[in-house]
Amino acid sequence: MSQEHGLFVYGIVPSDVEPTADAEGVGDPPGRVTAIRHGELAALVSEVGLTEPIGRPADLTAYERLLDGTAEVAPVLPVRFGTAVTGEDAVVDLLAAHHDSFAAALAEFEDRLQYTVHGRFDEQEFVSDLLTRDTRAAALADQVRGRPEAQSREQRIRLGELISQAVEQRREAENRALVDAVGRYAVADAPRRPSHELDAVNVAFLVATDDEKDFVGAVEDFAEQRRDLIRMRLVGPLAPYDFVSAHQLVE
Amino acid sequence: MTVATTTGQSGGALERSGGGGGSLADVVETVLDKGVVIDAQVSVAVVGIQLLEINARIVIASVETYLRFAEAVDRLDITPKGQKGLPDLVEDASGAAMKGKAIGGLGKAAGAIGGAVKEAVGGLGPDGDDEDEEDRPRSRRRERSR
Repeated sequence: MSQEHGLFVYGIVPSDVEPTADAEGVGDPPGRVTAIRHGELAALVSEVGLTEPIGRPADLTAYERLLDGTAEVAPVLPVRFGTAVTGEDAVVDLLAAHHDSFAAALAEFEDRLQYTVHGRFDEQEFVSDLLTRDTRAAALADQVRGRPEAQSREQRIRLGELISQAVEQRREAENRALVDAVGRYAVADAPRRPSHELDAVNVAFLVATDDEKDFVGAVEDFAEQRRDLIRMRLVGPLAPYDFVSAHQLVE
Repeated sequence: MTVATTTGQSGGALERSGGGGGSLADVVETVLDKGVVIDAQVSVAVVGIQLLEINARIVIASVETYLRFAEAVDRLDITPKGQKGLPDLVEDASGAAMKGKAIGGLGKAAGAIGGAVKEAVGGLGPDGDDEDEEDRPRSRRRERSR
């Protein structure tokens, strides 16, 4: 293999996993995904040109699709997006050096999938709710409405700060409530950073395939109870991105 | 895959999207900065990643955020909670016509709503209408099997 090419590494799987012929990887045109095996493990890889930029939307989507599709049939340890190694030998070295810890991690992910619950407050609902409960905020809103920013900047900042603090408080409460309500159907949960200033909940759950239905049902109930206030989304099933401790496995 | 589930009688409150089938923002949020990190000596850095990483995480409360929230109050002309649930058109109209009145009545409404809100924190009561669902591209699941 020449210097201009490397192997893009998607994830680690048990050695009996075989990528299907139509599995498409990153790059343009998409690389063909193959498995490189060592012991009980295999790495899903595809050849990639090291001079072409990787990180286009299509590359991210291809990466996630491959890993999520794999996770539905076999345990998989995602390798951080953007990881490329020099060649097949490097992949084998990697698998050999961490064989037992990778194998142990894969055993934990057997028959388990990730679901991410992500909710966002409806701004109008949240703010109007706040204004009815918080007289300070209501008074400030009164001073702000219909007045140009230049004349009400101080009040605007104070009002916005109150709203922002209320969002944070409510976010904490909702995240706790979510874990309380659906956590019993999950093997583990992992909080995720808010990705938007109106984020209401953002938690990843590792769910046993036997419990998927109950888990989804519990999330639906949770969403139903908040349907006006929070726009709730369930993303998954996914590879267990949030349950791989990046630095624990490979020192 | 994108499936709007239906729970209850009036349409589901939970929007669903399968792996890899969501928006780019979803994909970025799901995969970036996650996964096993391979030893530096065997890995070859690939360009084009860092930029996305930075873009994916800018949620820090700032004066700009505050001003934007305040502007939302102004723009939305948010009326007391008691008027929620009306169709948008009616809400808009009343917002324009009853501005002064609505604000005047605020204190009273707050008392009445307060109890409901407290109840709601423990387990919000279901009510009201459905959210608009964004159309998301459907994805075909590309399967890798044993």
